[in-house]
Amino acid sequence: MSLPAIAEWLNDTQIGVAVRESVYAFPIIEGAHLIGLALSLGLILFVDLRLTGFFLREVSIAGILYSLRGWLLLGFGLTLSTGAVLFLAEASKLIFLPVFWLKVSLIFLAGLNAAWFEVKWGRQAGNWQQLTVLPTGVRFAGWASLLLWFGVLSCGRLIPYLGAGL
Amino acid sequence: MSVFSVFDQLQNSDIATLISRQDHLFGAGAQLLHISGLILVLASILIVSLRLLGLGLVQVPLPRLVKATAQFIWIGLALLAVSGVIIFLPAADHYYPNPVFWLKFGLLAFAIVLHLTWYRRVTKQESVKPFIARSTAAVLLTTWFGIAYAARFIGFY
Repeated sequence: MSLPAIAEWLNDTQIGVAVRESVYAFPIIEGAHLIGLALSLGLILFVDLRLTGFFLREVSIAGILYSLRGWLLLGFGLTLSTGAVLFLAEASKLIFLPVFWLKVSLIFLAGLNAAWFEVKWGRQAGNWQQLTVLPTGVRFAGWASLLLWFGVLSCGRLIPYLGAGL
Repeated sequence: MSVFSVFDQLQNSDIATLISRQDHLFGAGAQLLHISGLILVLASILIVSLRLLGLGLVQVPLPRLVKATAQFIWIGLALLAVSGVIIFLPAADHYYPNPVFWLKFGLLAFAIVLHLTWYRRVTKQESVKPFIARSTAAVLLTTWFGIAYAARFIGFY
């Protein structure tokens, strides 16, 4: 099955049709997507600001990470699930939009960056309290996360503007 | 002079005309600044509320956390105000009859008053009485996330 055929099929699923045709479903889910963003991107922003040295420098990175992780993951759950529903409603348009694929790629890269951070530094994070300057890789991961997620946000906000003609 | 005629004059002002002559990606840029500012404010309010509820960053003293997030709240509000004016001016007449628009700004006015009075007073304390802490967090979250939710509805109403 080709990609447009899959998108067409997703587009015509019950959820896809229901969200597209309802007056209220779309803004309700968009609103939930926005609140999901405030939790996921908002909290990861503060973790990144800590990694890059702009937020609560006297508090250990591990302390901030472990304390916010649950909320952060909850936020990503909400953002991803509402995003999936919004995608269903417009799947056959979105797959022809380059900015949509750019957004998906950036989410993938940001995820990879977070996974790399966890594997490489996750267990050491507790030992950094005494250091005044963090290992370069840690600050790099923070900056990469900030830039990648800002890119994801930009692509997402641009989709309706670049997709209006489709 | 009625409120509508003020809105109408704003929409027909030189600055509004200048903005509406720009490419539609200029409007998209304003929208991007707007959502960036919103995330800064909402995340800061969220982090302080989690602390008040005892559900996150409990190892950081409350006044310290409030001081660390304050700069991000003001940067966020500044971004929201500048981009908001750019979004509002060229379409002022269009927003005037929209009840969700007025709901949003009613909530925003309440949120700002709350922030400059109650929020300041409560978050100065090292330890807040549990009832006060919980109800402050509940009001903060409802108000600010309500503003965001209403804002998302304006364009669909």
